[in-house]
Amino acid sequence: MLGISIFNGLVYGSLLIICASGLAMIYGLRRVVNFAHGALYMLGAYIGYSLSLHLNFWFALLLAPLVMLLLGMLLDKLVFHPLQERDPLSVLLVTFGLLLVLEDLVRATWGRASLSIEVPELLAGSVDLFGNPTPLYRLAVIGLGVGSMVALWAWLRFARTGLYVRAASTDPLTTAMMGVNTERVNALVVGIGTALAGLAGVAAAPLLSLAPSMGADVLVDSFVVVVIGGLGSLGGALISAFLLGQVQSFGTIYLPSLSAVLPFLMMIAILIWRPSGLAGNRV
Amino acid sequence: MNAQVNSVLSFDQVNAYYGNAHILHNFSLSISEGESLALIGRNGVGKTTFVNALLGQARVRSGQITVAGKTRSLWRPYQPAKEGVMVVPQGRRIIANLTVEENLLLGNAVHRKGPWNVERIYQLFPILRERAHTPGAALSGGQQQMLAIGRALMGNPRLMILDEPTEGLAPVIVDQLGDIIRQVNEQGTTILLIEQNLHLVARVSRRYLAVEKGSVIAEGEVDPGRIEQLQQFVVV
Repeated sequence: MLGISIFNGLVYGSLLIICASGLAMIYGLRRVVNFAHGALYMLGAYIGYSLSLHLNFWFALLLAPLVMLLLGMLLDKLVFHPLQERDPLSVLLVTFGLLLVLEDLVRATWGRASLSIEVPELLAGSVDLFGNPTPLYRLAVIGLGVGSMVALWAWLRFARTGLYVRAASTDPLTTAMMGVNTERVNALVVGIGTALAGLAGVAAAPLLSLAPSMGADVLVDSFVVVVIGGLGSLGGALISAFLLGQVQSFGTIYLPSLSAVLPFLMMIAILIWRPSGLAGNRV
Repeated sequence: MNAQVNSVLSFDQVNAYYGNAHILHNFSLSISEGESLALIGRNGVGKTTFVNALLGQARVRSGQITVAGKTRSLWRPYQPAKEGVMVVPQGRRIIANLTVEENLLLGNAVHRKGPWNVERIYQLFPILRERAHTPGAALSGGQQQMLAIGRALMGNPRLMILDEPTEGLAPVIVDQLGDIIRQVNEQGTTILLIEQNLHLVARVSRRYLAVEKGSVIAEGEVDPGRIEQLQQFVVV
């Protein structure tokens, strides 16, 4: 029982970190509190659904994030960039509007009925893990979460563009002064953040049913993760995503009546202890 | 003032604003390849606004800015570097969470060809090699200034603009930096030094422009023996 709870917490934590790391990056660089992030996760899942119908799951997993990458870059160019001199509250409202538009767009395109993606054949079975039969697909989701975080970390740490992202998230003007086209860096980061939301959406699709409102829970939990981790910090988000995954998983079993508020209680407790989050202000 | 054939940077009748505050009034200057020019003046006369206009941070409502033969009225902050104009900004603006070496690599973002690379910067400032992997925030003021200069040189600039590099530094470090800036100029990089410290101007610059109320009001040769004649432009 205990093992299964920890395991399910890890699965949810993995989905959360993929989604929340995108949110954290967009905030870190753009200082945009992106309320549409959950809707982008949902859109990614629906695009994945259509791609998996026409091609197969693997193409969906690969192509949906790519489509979302382009959409994200467009989002930066058409929305975040023109609004960058505005106060954060108006940008927040615009992203909230975008959430509503995206939900309606999905309803109009895919309908209201809940849909689902089949678990791909290769991962349909289960393996024995510490004496428990464990679905392979859930194991793969943990692998995907870890893999994408390692890739993201390596990119930020070792690649030239990663260096520019880290520099621009601290001091965009000085970074530009050195000749870095920060507008392009911004578009790339919003694109990657959006692609990560889409990736989480496709990966989550075989585990739950698709509905236009599915982004709401993930959005709220992602915000909790980003706030607990320290706004804009990826390392902090990683720790808090897995913490929140465990809190959710154990809460549902042992404190079902409180499970909905547990993430917020955790957030309050951590913010009292460390007001700027686990990682402070580091990226 | 027309852009000369060998002019690296020229401002032609530039009027620049912050919001509605009119800061630069018909500001003109031209700096030629290889020279070492000082822009002097008191606080608040528009010296830093000149840099901000070049970087698109102050609003240029009229006039033209020519960098390496390209004329625009509005420059995006990343464009001058591409033309070989690197800025050592006021307050140094070292990126605190990047290491010394990463800060240097950032300076090479435009990949301009030239003599400068990380190794040569370390030869120029050996202390930076020792501290290569410490975060920029952990450096002393003097070391941060060396890093800011090193970072600008990494862009292999035609022109390096230094905005009040001596602010808050001990006199002995100012002298060291002065010698290095002069050395860089002798190796072919054009220098524009924005300063109130006439001691440094005497050490580094051969020509000066004096700024008051957002315009250039005087210019001439720097005579190191009679530097006190320029006092009138910087003393309140």
